[in-house]
Amino acid sequence: MPLITMKCDELIPERGKHTYITDTENPVIPACNVTTIPGDMTERGCPFAGARGVVGGPIVDIIHMVHSPVGCAYYTWGSRRSLPDWYSWSGPNKLDNAAFNRRYCVTTDMEEKDVVFGGGTKLKKACIEAFKMFPEAKGLFMYTTCTSGLIGDDIPAVAKQVEKTVGKPVFFAQAPGCSGVSQSKGHHVLNHEFYRQIKALREKNPDLCMKEEEKTPYDINLIGDYNMDWDIKAIIPLFEQMGIRVVATFTGNERIENLIKMPDAKLNVVHCQRSAGYIAELINEHAGTTHLDVTLYGIVETSKALRDVGKHFGLEKQAEAVIEKETARIKESIAYYRSKLEGKTVALYVGAPRVWHWIHLMEELGMEIVAMACTFAHKDDYEKINAKAKSNILVIDNPNEFEVEEMLHDYKPDLFLCGLKEKYIARKMGVSTVNSHSYEKGPYADYFGFVNFARDIYQGFYAPVWNFVKNNPSEEVE
Amino acid sequence: MNRGAIKEQPVVINPCKACQPIGAMYATLGIKHAVPLVQGSQGCSTFVRYQFNRHFREPANIAVTSFHEDAVVFGGRRNLIEGIINLVQHYHPEVIGVVTTCSSETIGDDIAAFIKEAKQRLTAEIGAEKAAKTFIVPLRTPSYSGSHVQGYDNGARQYLEQLAQESKPNQKLNIIPGMINPGDIAEIKHLMSAMGAANNMLFDISETLNAPLKMKNSFFPDGGTAAADLVDAANSLGTIALSRHAGGGAATYLLRKFNVPAVLGPFPVGIYNTDLFLEQAVKLTGQPVTAEIKRERGLLLDAMADTCTITALKKVAIFGDPDTVIGVARFASELGMELIAVGTTADSKEFYREIGLIAKEYNCAPQIVADGGLHKLEQVLLQNRVEMLIGNSNGAAIAKQADIPLVRIGFPVTDRVGYQRRPIVGYNGSLWLLDYIVNAFLERK
Repeated sequence: MPLITMKCDELIPERGKHTYITDTENPVIPACNVTTIPGDMTERGCPFAGARGVVGGPIVDIIHMVHSPVGCAYYTWGSRRSLPDWYSWSGPNKLDNAAFNRRYCVTTDMEEKDVVFGGGTKLKKACIEAFKMFPEAKGLFMYTTCTSGLIGDDIPAVAKQVEKTVGKPVFFAQAPGCSGVSQSKGHHVLNHEFYRQIKALREKNPDLCMKEEEKTPYDINLIGDYNMDWDIKAIIPLFEQMGIRVVATFTGNERIENLIKMPDAKLNVVHCQRSAGYIAELINEHAGTTHLDVTLYGIVETSKALRDVGKHFGLEKQAEAVIEKETARIKESIAYYRSKLEGKTVALYVGAPRVWHWIHLMEELGMEIVAMACTFAHKDDYEKINAKAKSNILVIDNPNEFEVEEMLHDYKPDLFLCGLKEKYIARKMGVSTVNSHSYEKGPYADYFGFVNFARDIYQGFYAPVWNFVKNNPSEEVE
Repeated sequence: MNRGAIKEQPVVINPCKACQPIGAMYATLGIKHAVPLVQGSQGCSTFVRYQFNRHFREPANIAVTSFHEDAVVFGGRRNLIEGIINLVQHYHPEVIGVVTTCSSETIGDDIAAFIKEAKQRLTAEIGAEKAAKTFIVPLRTPSYSGSHVQGYDNGARQYLEQLAQESKPNQKLNIIPGMINPGDIAEIKHLMSAMGAANNMLFDISETLNAPLKMKNSFFPDGGTAAADLVDAANSLGTIALSRHAGGGAATYLLRKFNVPAVLGPFPVGIYNTDLFLEQAVKLTGQPVTAEIKRERGLLLDAMADTCTITALKKVAIFGDPDTVIGVARFASELGMELIAVGTTADSKEFYREIGLIAKEYNCAPQIVADGGLHKLEQVLLQNRVEMLIGNSNGAAIAKQADIPLVRIGFPVTDRVGYQRRPIVGYNGSLWLLDYIVNAFLERK
């Protein structure tokens, strides 16, 4: 089936290029990763959100300096649940979470005079002052935004000066909010700039590389996992059981010293291929490390991932042992939830990769996908969707609010997996939701995470409130 | 009082403020069938929607003109004109508030001219009659100056500058709430109706951001101030801006332009401030304070008497928007608590004056932390063995670190549910706040 135009889009014909019905025989790729129509009630964020909020943000032991008027820093303060375990001064009655990525919001708070005269000097002073206030910080990451990008502050020069003064590494990502069509641009910029900077650091200071004697033949990086609600607690032990060591996670709950050692690993296992595939390719280009694209959700996909990694290292037997043990452990739970969820319909709306990560997982639960939507997917994401999805599913690229409503109204999913902004819309329409961005009660990755996920879907669907909603006497459907 | 402690710092850690646009959007969402249209990058709308979603647990409809590279090079003209036309054709709003941001202000967009051009194109495309149904109001809110509080103030003022028109007197009292919660607005409406005073609540989020679960039949939530009531605000008996810093500008404009008497503050928390608020409402409307309200005052006094030894001399720090802090600081003093530190968003003379008055009256010497951010407040708090922190959710980590209770008020409260529904204003709201404060101490006994 070809592209379609939704009823609400009659006046915006361009939107018809973004919407299609899947067909395994004749797959279509919609218009994607293109500019948003002004005034469209888009759900997209900006490149700065991608850089600070998603990819850079989870690094735990460095100061995250946002060079901007106060808002950009304020809104990215502790809002994303990429959880850290960095205890710098924890003790009795002390806060157990002191990591920089969520505890502190550090900003230059640019004012009118900085916009007129330039903010470079202020940024330099701010970085040095921040290092004084947080001597335990292992480095600093500077992020630019619309204003600092527009006035053209020389960020690399400031980084160099601060690095010289303080003697600690200073990184930067120049991804102002107006520099791209969605947060995806920010992921891209951060990957490239960060890798270039760690490469330069390693060349300048070989001590930062992993020592030969430290290396094992089974070193991997977990690329593109941001530790939502402790996903890595589910993921890393699986690899460890196989005899594999995870050198660094890019970037969930990770320390900067480990990230600098990324090029020393033997294999890059790439989970979020949209936001971090770039760095895996860069490492491949420069250090020759191969990378494996994996999905770590659900039994089928996770087992395939472990087999692939096992095959790479000649650890097939170990992989099979882990798969057998873990599958046996959760088989009964999943069978229970499947018996409760079988035949129910679901709509998926996430950034991009989790839509195709979860297609098989939904099938494992016996649920039928009726609609899917992505905020910032590229062509390759839609290729992956088309390769995994059955026919006759509605797919919307960068949906606006009307399209989300029309989809919920016309396709009537029993459950909507979506983010914070959409969940309140869906609930007002009587549709149960599960937060698929930062989870309800995670982790959701891997085997025992799958049980959590199934449980949350079950609890979301069977909550008694929806019975009252269905029989709501004040119901006024148009 | 230690004013010398405040100096400009090159780095702000844990700021006690957000940027101007969110304030203007807050005001806009209180207008019936209105959409804020953000002239800027997508983050400027998405981040703000997240804030509203987390605090109110409601949908928040905010549109954006989606600045990409081309807008920065060629200006935001095309974006704004297309944005307005798309919004009008698609959503038929009665009001569009065009909220500017740091990017559009830095590149110097001529917003007024763009809106004029958009209106001309709309007239050509859908006819003059349909085009005239939507008010399009420019709200200049550069993010690099002031704070969210000033953004609300600027937004509210610009709405009235554009819309208010003199006609027949309407015998109503304008109330501009400021960035307060749906529960607070409902409580003020309760006081007004108990007095039998007709009110014109401007920027009324009490229903738009606190909506029941029912199948919707419109894109817009119920409630909100009708555009006609903003027009009619020029003909009222008077205006009370509950928050001087967020709404005072609009009240002053109505006074200067249309001679509508204006009262700025106080934020009606506690006995003294609520008395004052009612006194002013009586003066402006001629309606009396009724037995029902007197009973509520009596209940508050009774509860204060019952708990005065629990709250006595407890060391407290309060942070948040300036008017909320001034109001709650006085109420805390009325409860016999000792003000140790107050933190706020703006370096305002009025704030210093008001806190100074409270300090003198209740014989305390609070340290004022303005502009240093909450990290600075945290240091003061730890050095002085403060026993309670009152403020929004951004103080949660501080309270945890200091091992003291955090009494959550204001915006945003994201880590607990329901506070947006509960008032802290009026005698009823103060009574609830008192219970909350006392229970927080009892929990720790």
